[in-house]
Amino acid sequence: MSGSTRMRRRDFLARTAGYAAGAGMLMPLWEAVGSNGEIDRAYPDELLSIEAYTGGKISPGDLITADNVEHVKDLLEPVVYEQVSEMGRQLRVAPTTTDIMRLSPWEYMQATVRNRGQARFDDKGNVVTQEGRPWIGGHPFPDATKAIELFAGLTMSWGRHDASLYAIKQYSLSPEGSIQYRYDLGWAELAPVGRLVLEPKPYWTGHEEYLRYQSVFFLSPRSESGTSFLNIWHYDQNKFPDLYGYLPHFRRIRQFPTNQRFEPLVPGSTLYLSDAWAAGDPLHTWGNYKIIGRGPMLAGVSNGWNAEHPNWEHGTHGGPNGQTFWDTTVELVPEAILTEAEPVAFSRAPVSKKRVWFDARNMMPIGMVTYDRKGELFRSFDGCYSLYESGDRAFMDGDHPYWSWTHVHAFDAQTRRMTRLEQVRALGSGLETQVNTPNMYEQYLTRSAIMRLGRI
Amino acid sequence: MRISSRGMAVLVGMAVATLHAPLQAQGFFGDLFDDFGVDFSGIIRAEGTYKTTSEENPYNQQGNIFNDRTIQRSAYAPPNLTQTQLDNLGLGGLVNVGEVGTWNTLPLAIFNDEVRRGDVIRSQSNDTNYTIIRAQGEMELRFSHNFRFVAKPRALYDPGLYNDFDARNVADVQSGISGGDPSLYQGEVNYFEYRVEDGNGGYTNGNPLEFAGRDYFVDFPALLFEYTDGPMTLRVGNQQIAWGQAIFFRVLDVPNGLDLRRHSILDRSLEEFSDKRVPMLSARLTYQLPFNIIGDAYFGRFQPTVFGNPNTGFNVIPTQFTVRDMFKEDGYDDKYSYGLRLRADYGTWGWQAVAARRWNPDGTFRWTKTGVNQNLEGPGLGATVNAAYALNPNPECGPTTGAALSETAFEVAPGGVYSAEEWFTYAGLARLSGVEGLNAGIEDFPCSQAITASAVDPNDADAQAQAENQLDTFFIAAGGSLRGHIARDYHQENVFGLGVNYVTTSSIDFLNQIIINLEVSYQPKRAFTDIALRQDPIVQDETTAALIIDKWHRFASGFPGTYMVFQALWKNRSDLVGRHLSGYGATPDNGLPPGVDDAYYFVFGFQQPLPNRIFDIEFASLYDPRGGLFAQPMLRWNPGNNIGVEAFYNFIDGDLKGNPNDNVISTLGFADEVGLRLTYQF
Repeated sequence: MSGSTRMRRRDFLARTAGYAAGAGMLMPLWEAVGSNGEIDRAYPDELLSIEAYTGGKISPGDLITADNVEHVKDLLEPVVYEQVSEMGRQLRVAPTTTDIMRLSPWEYMQATVRNRGQARFDDKGNVVTQEGRPWIGGHPFPDATKAIELFAGLTMSWGRHDASLYAIKQYSLSPEGSIQYRYDLGWAELAPVGRLVLEPKPYWTGHEEYLRYQSVFFLSPRSESGTSFLNIWHYDQNKFPDLYGYLPHFRRIRQFPTNQRFEPLVPGSTLYLSDAWAAGDPLHTWGNYKIIGRGPMLAGVSNGWNAEHPNWEHGTHGGPNGQTFWDTTVELVPEAILTEAEPVAFSRAPVSKKRVWFDARNMMPIGMVTYDRKGELFRSFDGCYSLYESGDRAFMDGDHPYWSWTHVHAFDAQTRRMTRLEQVRALGSGLETQVNTPNMYEQYLTRSAIMRLGRI
Repeated sequence: MRISSRGMAVLVGMAVATLHAPLQAQGFFGDLFDDFGVDFSGIIRAEGTYKTTSEENPYNQQGNIFNDRTIQRSAYAPPNLTQTQLDNLGLGGLVNVGEVGTWNTLPLAIFNDEVRRGDVIRSQSNDTNYTIIRAQGEMELRFSHNFRFVAKPRALYDPGLYNDFDARNVADVQSGISGGDPSLYQGEVNYFEYRVEDGNGGYTNGNPLEFAGRDYFVDFPALLFEYTDGPMTLRVGNQQIAWGQAIFFRVLDVPNGLDLRRHSILDRSLEEFSDKRVPMLSARLTYQLPFNIIGDAYFGRFQPTVFGNPNTGFNVIPTQFTVRDMFKEDGYDDKYSYGLRLRADYGTWGWQAVAARRWNPDGTFRWTKTGVNQNLEGPGLGATVNAAYALNPNPECGPTTGAALSETAFEVAPGGVYSAEEWFTYAGLARLSGVEGLNAGIEDFPCSQAITASAVDPNDADAQAQAENQLDTFFIAAGGSLRGHIARDYHQENVFGLGVNYVTTSSIDFLNQIIINLEVSYQPKRAFTDIALRQDPIVQDETTAALIIDKWHRFASGFPGTYMVFQALWKNRSDLVGRHLSGYGATPDNGLPPGVDDAYYFVFGFQQPLPNRIFDIEFASLYDPRGGLFAQPMLRWNPGNNIGVEAFYNFIDGDLKGNPNDNVISTLGFADEVGLRLTYQF
C-alpha cells in the first residue's frame, strides 16, 4: 500500500467519523443528493477518483491484477484481495458513479428522497411510518447511522423493485477450478407493501401483513429440475417465513420447517438461503448489529451488464482453469459502511458473524464475509450491480433502464469452492428475466404456481 | 438439452414450422403459439441389487419353501359320497352312505403318498432380484407462456440376470399349466407386461399407454397438455396426481394406483411413490382461490394398481394362484374416478379436505372358474375318482372330472399347491383363511361337490384336520398339485378426508418449527378381499388416520441441518397394503386366522446432507409393532458432471416377535439386499 493511500484513508475515516457525529463531510450525502441528485458535492475529489486516490497508479480502464493490487489493497475486502493476488482474479476499473439515480431503480430512489424521515421502528422492531403503518417504499433510513437501519432497509426490499423475476445461471466449481455443477434457476420476489410501481400501491390490499413473496425454482439439471420453494415473509421481522416446497419426488406441495437457513439448496453450492442479498433472514433473527467502520472501497456497482452478449452472459477468468471468476468491473465507492451482525435465532449455525459492506450512496451491500464459529474467515461474497444500459442498448423497466444485480461470487475460503451466479436474459426453458410484471404473483409466487413450476 | 424455436424447426421439420407460422398472428391461437420452444432432458440409469440373504422369494415357484421338504399326504374317504359313488369307488362293501362322518373318519391309506415339490420345481438361488437399465426423458413443447405440452417417456430393460422359473420345464408334468394368460403362466417369466382378460377368451394389455414385452417396458408417466391462466392450471392427459402431506402412507393420496412391478416399494424411500404411481388419463384443474385456498380437482379414466407378475423378483401373490384380472372383461376400463381437494394454509396452521368418488385401484380377489378341462391325474386315487365320476357324472358339471373341475376354481396342473401344509402355510402368508378358503372354493362352485368335495364346519373342533385331509386327498388325486384361479374385481367407493396442520413456535430450539399434520380419511362401505376368497367381498366402513411430524434440526455447526420425518398410521379394517385384518394371524396349523382389531405403523426417516451436499445420508424405516421392521440406510453421492451414485441397504425383518403373519413387513421378509443406482443425466 502506498503512503498516499494510507493517508487518504485515514483522512476519510476521520471525516466520516465526524460525519457520524454530526460534524459533516463536505456536506451531508443526502443533502447533496437532494440538491441535484449527484454525490460529488458530498465527497472530496480523492474519494471520487481512483486515479486521484492512488496517485495515478491506477486509472479507470485499467486492470487490477496481482501486479498492481497492492495499490488498492485497503480498498478490497480481504478475500477478494487474496483472489487477485494469488488466484489470478482481475478487476477492470470504471469511473466512480456520481449520479445517484444510476445506483438504484429510479422509482426507489425517488421514494427514498420523498419519504425520507418518515420511518421509525415500532415496539416489535419493525419499520413503520410515523403513523404506525407498514412502510411506504424507498429506503426507510437513507441517513442511516445505525447498522440495524441499514439492514432493515435491505431486508425490506432486496431487489428494490415491486416484483422481480431473475433468470439465473449458477455454476459451482471444485477447489481445482473446474465446473462441477451447473444449474438454471428462477428467483422471484414480490413486495405486497412499500409498492412504488404496481397497483395498488403502496399496499396490496389484503396482503399488508406480509413483507415479501419469494420463490426459487430449479429448471436444470434434471436431478434438481422441478424443485421449487415458496417463502412467504411476514411483515413482522421476528417471525420466520412460511416455507412451502414442491419436490419432484413427492409430486405435491409440502410445508417445510423454515428455521434452518444455512443449508446448501443444491449439491456443490456454497450458497445458503441466509446469504440472499446479505440479508436472507428476518431482521431480528440476527442481532448485535453494529457499524465497525467506514471507508472507501472498490466494488462492482456499475458496468456489470454485458450487453455484448445476447443473453447477458459474462466471461470468466482466473483460477486453475480460467473459470473461477466472472469478468468484473469495479469502481471506487467513496464511502462504504462496514457492519457486523450475529445470528441470534439459529442454534449451531455454522456462521458466527457476518460483515457486510454497504455503499453509503444507495445502502446496498457491496461485499460480505462470514466467519465460522471459531471466528475464522469462512465465506466471501461479492457481486456487481448495474444499470442495464450500454451505449444505445438498454433493457427497460418502464420508462427507465432496468437496474439490478448482474453477477455474484460466493466463495468458500476454507474449502476454496466457488459458486458463481449471473442474471441472464432468458434460460433455455423459456424463463425470462422480468421486472414489475403485473401477473408475477399468480405465475410464480403462489402454492399452485410452484406446483406448476415443479416437475410433472 | 434445450432447443430454441429456431433449432426446433430443424428438428421437427416443416410440420411444426407450418403449425407455428400461420398461427402466430391469429388472435387467441397467436397468443398460444407466441413463444415456441422445446426443452428436453433425461437420465440413463443402471439399477441393481445384490441379495444379502440366501432366502428366495417364497411366493415364486423357485423360492417356494416346500420345494425342499418331503411331505406325507394321507387320503380319506369323502363324507358326502352317495351310495352310487361309494360303489363306484369300490367302497360299497366297506361303508354305507352316511357312515363317512367327516374327512377324519375313513382313511384310505392305500392311496397315501409323500411328495417333494422340488422334484417337479427345483429351488433356485439368485444373487440379485432386480437389475435393470432405465432411460427416462422429459420433453416440453412450450407454445407460449401459458400453454405447453409435456411428455415423459420411461423405458426399462431387464436383461433377466436371474435363475427364474420357466413353465415350459413342467409342460410334461400333470399335462402342464394351461390356465391363465400364456404369457404369464406358460413360459418364461414376464417381467413387465400388465395382462388382463379381454372378454373374448383371450388376454390383452391393461394399460393403453404402456408398451411392454417380457423384458422391456415403455410408458409415459406424463403425457399431457397444460394450460394456465392466472390462478388456474388445467392439465389434460396421462398424469400422476399426489395428494396429502403424509409420505408413504396413502391417507389422502387417493387418485392413482401403484405400479408394484420392478422393485415394488423397495426403491429409495424418500422418493416415495414418484416412480410407482400409475398414471391416469385425466383432466386436472388447479385453482388458486381466495383466502389462501387451493382447489384441486380431477376426473380420470380408472387405471388399477399393477402387481408384480408371477415369479418376478418382488411378486407377493403366491404363484400357486392364477390371477384373472377382469379390468377389461367386466368393463372397468370404461369407469371413471373423480375427486376434489381443498387446501389452505395460514402460516402456522392450515387445513385440507378431500372428497373423491373412485374405483379402488387395488381391487379385490375371489375364486373363479378355471375353464381348464383337465382330469385328475393321480394314478391311483385320481384314476379311481375319474372312473367313478364317469360312471355317474353330474349332468350340470360335464361327463368327466376334468369338465367338472373346469367349473371350479381348481386346475390340475403343476406349480400349484401340493399339500395341505403348503395350503395352510401360504394362506397364512397371504393373510387368508385356509379353512374358509377351502369352503368357499367348494360352496361357491357346486361342481366341486360333484366330485365329492365338501365344506368343513369351521366350528368343529377338528375342522383343521378335516380340511387338511380333504386337501391332501384331492392333491393325491390330482397327481401332484392343484392351482387355484382367482379373479380380480374392482369396486367403486367414496373417500372423505380431512387434514389439519400446525407449525410450532418455541423458544426451545428442538421444539421450534415442528410441522405437525393430522390426516384422517373415511371410506364408507369399502370393499375388501374376502379372506376366504368368496364371491362377494367384505364390505365395511374404514377409517384411516395418520400423524406426520416434520422437523429440520441442526445438530452440529459443521453439518447442515438434518431433515427428520416421523409418522404414525392407524387403520381399523385393513393393513398397509389393503389386506383385511381378519385374515391376520393364521399359522400352518390353524387355518382359521384370529385376525387383529386394527393396524398401526410407525415411520421414521431422516436426510443428512454433508457440507456442500456432495454427499447425502438418508435413512428410512417402517416399524410394525406386531413384529416387523424395514430399515433403509442410503448414501447418495453427487460428484457433479451430471453423474449421481446412490447406494442403499434394505433390511427387512418380519419375524421380530410372535407370529410373522401378524405384521405386514413379513410379506417382504425375503428381500434383504444392497442396491446401487448409477445415473447419468443429460
